[in-house]
Amino acid sequence: MEYIKKDLGSYRLHLIKTKKFKTITVRVAFRSPVVKEEITIRNVLCDMFLQSSRKYPSKRDLTIEAQELYAADIQTYNSRLGNYNNLDIYLSVLHDRYTEDGNFKKSLDFLNQIIFHPDVYAQKFSAEKLDVVKNTMRSNLSSIKEDGGNYSLLRLFETMDKNRVSSYRMVGYLDDLEKVTPESLYQYYQKMIRSDLVDIFVIGDIDFKEITALIRQKIPIKTVKRQRVPYLLEDVRPRARRLFARESIDTTQSKLAIGCRAYGLSDYERNYALTLYNIILGGSGDSKLFQEIRESYSLCYVINSVPNKLDRLILIRAGIDKENYTKTLELIDKILLDMRKGKFSDEDIRIAKEYFCTALDEVLDSPNRIIDNYYMMELLGTDTIEEKRRKIMNVCKDDIIKVAKKVKMDTVFLLEGDGNEEN
Amino acid sequence: MKKIDLKGLDLCCYTETLSNGLDIIFVPFLDKANYFISYATRFGSEVTTFIPDGEKKPRKVPDGIAHFLEHKMFEQESGEDPFAYFSKSGTGANASTTYNSTQYICYGTKNFLDNLRYLIQYVNAPYYTDSNVEKEKGIIAEELKMYADLPDVQLESRLRKNIYHIHPRRVDIGGTVEEINKITKEDLYLCYNNFYSPNNMFLLVVGNFNMDEAMRVIHEELDHRENLVKSEIVPIKEKKSVCKKEDSFEGNIQVPKIGVGLKIAISDLGEYDDLELDLYLTMLTTMLFGSSSSFRERVRSDKLLNNFYTDWDNTERYKTFIILASTNQPGQLIKEIKKEISNHDLDEDMFQRMKKVWIANEVKMADYIDSTVNNIYDDMIRYHKVIPNKVDIIRNMNMEVLQEIVSSIDFDNLSVVTMLPQEEIL
Repeated sequence: MEYIKKDLGSYRLHLIKTKKFKTITVRVAFRSPVVKEEITIRNVLCDMFLQSSRKYPSKRDLTIEAQELYAADIQTYNSRLGNYNNLDIYLSVLHDRYTEDGNFKKSLDFLNQIIFHPDVYAQKFSAEKLDVVKNTMRSNLSSIKEDGGNYSLLRLFETMDKNRVSSYRMVGYLDDLEKVTPESLYQYYQKMIRSDLVDIFVIGDIDFKEITALIRQKIPIKTVKRQRVPYLLEDVRPRARRLFARESIDTTQSKLAIGCRAYGLSDYERNYALTLYNIILGGSGDSKLFQEIRESYSLCYVINSVPNKLDRLILIRAGIDKENYTKTLELIDKILLDMRKGKFSDEDIRIAKEYFCTALDEVLDSPNRIIDNYYMMELLGTDTIEEKRRKIMNVCKDDIIKVAKKVKMDTVFLLEGDGNEEN
Repeated sequence: MKKIDLKGLDLCCYTETLSNGLDIIFVPFLDKANYFISYATRFGSEVTTFIPDGEKKPRKVPDGIAHFLEHKMFEQESGEDPFAYFSKSGTGANASTTYNSTQYICYGTKNFLDNLRYLIQYVNAPYYTDSNVEKEKGIIAEELKMYADLPDVQLESRLRKNIYHIHPRRVDIGGTVEEINKITKEDLYLCYNNFYSPNNMFLLVVGNFNMDEAMRVIHEELDHRENLVKSEIVPIKEKKSVCKKEDSFEGNIQVPKIGVGLKIAISDLGEYDDLELDLYLTMLTTMLFGSSSSFRERVRSDKLLNNFYTDWDNTERYKTFIILASTNQPGQLIKEIKKEISNHDLDEDMFQRMKKVWIANEVKMADYIDSTVNNIYDDMIRYHKVIPNKVDIIRNMNMEVLQEIVSSIDFDNLSVVTMLPQEEIL
């Protein structure tokens, strides 16, 4: 695998040459500091890219063109990366050797049409298409409680930090949705193309020179911008007294969502010791939470913990019977305390390191994960896969205990199922 | 071992059947880091009534037993937890149960031979006690509740009850809390002994590993294993008609949902190879309801559709096409779906385009170990063999055969269910 990065002024082009995949994958990543009021309109735009364009006036036309390019896969995603809102436009297409000469070039034309020639006339997006997108989004936003697990997390974040970026609902807001018009959407589109920071990645069996020329031609972004806001959220001290909140919902199972703050960690601690800490705590089928609360006490089916490094949080979630709420919470507390006291073995650490290294190996089997890895290196200055492998091996028990002492349970949210068994 | 080229995919597959009937399938991927092992049995949730070996009368075991047994496989007499064993080398492990199969998997990059041996050993060594069976009931009850709380699951369950009169696919894979509470260790041993026999199982290994060494371990661990018993699954006398044509119920939702099932009796369709039939039927519904169909464009622009999901449910004698959707105008959407089904206009251009798409997708999937595993696993369950020339079979599909199959389908055999938001209680 060979990697080069070119600063083309208005964006950085990352090229990764490998013969491991039958496809060529292109990712165009747009990002700007997240603004709560803009999340929804950005989601709308994200969907509108794939509804139609000037050349392909309906979603059906667009889908047919993608199919004609030997099932070219084109997708858009809008998500949050720390303090930034990141919109990825992604294209994955079979290498010409499995299709026909010129198919990849034609696929880039298609990508160009989608990004730079949207369905806009007289400075307005198609009102009809916008209506369709808004309609679907409205329905999805009003059914947000159907997935209790996700809903409990949204509510946890809102309870935990009302105004911090981490509390923003990335699915968007109904009020903001109603405000989106064909005109405002076009203004937002222009703003994004002109002022967002951009990184472009291409991975596959490619020729660096040829691909650079092609990308320059097909992705004509001209403005030069500078990054001003850091990616990581600010460090917040945990509450002196825990915050408890609950809400009722008409289901039989209750969802417990707990937010812990990882306060005062160094980069090294956050990237390495915290990772191992989390794997031991609740990151695998062999973790303390899983073994204790599910296997020994049969209190739940799902229980795990997930680190959110950019937000400096660790989340613990479980699906439980509401009668078991106090008991489950006590056990979680005990396990967090055990971690602080160093009640885990060298074998636990060795296993967590193995998990981490296997995950690193697996990165290399997927074009998307390889891109993710280079993207994080670019944004956060994280280490290469080889450096990560070396550094994780050097983490010792004391490092993990130190981190454990800096992880504090801050907010406990219970989405309380009050439906009866028949429902 | 027999070498089979998977044509057009730059892959090959090696197969061997041990003397006790166990099928071994290897697909080496030497340029990847990972390996993936699946040890599977053709025993799933729909097998609940059978005549055990040496008995005369059929026995009914509690619903959800296949899934319960899957959970209990992780209990070992030594007290060692298989998850813990695999994690020692950073290896992931899991298991899953479907209507017609159960598989135990592990995947990772290290310790291949030991993990292969251990996977075989633990699945071959059931250990059920009264207390470990009781303990699992609490965990599984929480799992069932988690799924039962999801409105989409409620919709699909209701639709299945309306499609099938007596088929066990009326019941969710995990069963019900009431049924699983009846399960005893004797029931589990009965099922294990009847269905976890080499001639009802296969072992699939995909990824980066040494085939000779793997085969040596397999011979050591599996050659001596005898087929435990010979049982007889009682055929299910399911009627051709759908059980209930129309139905509606209320749920804890904001936006209405609909479900549609088209039940097709295989016996109506004439003599076709099972794979061929599946391909043509999937082609039919892709052309009518796929992402590039005119139906989808129409209902989207009319704002009749939010989410749309389709699938085929394959049982021994029936193939049922299932649509699940959420919509603000359930009545109108159902009308459109019915219209599309009864017209079933088929366009040759689209037919050719979809063949191209399917072939391209087969090639793309061959880049990923997990997709390759799923692909071969499904073929082993449904067709009992690896299909080496799927790309050619797709390429040779033609409109005449499609028309012929379509002409014998009873398009009126539909079941439709509507799920509406609960009336607000004031």
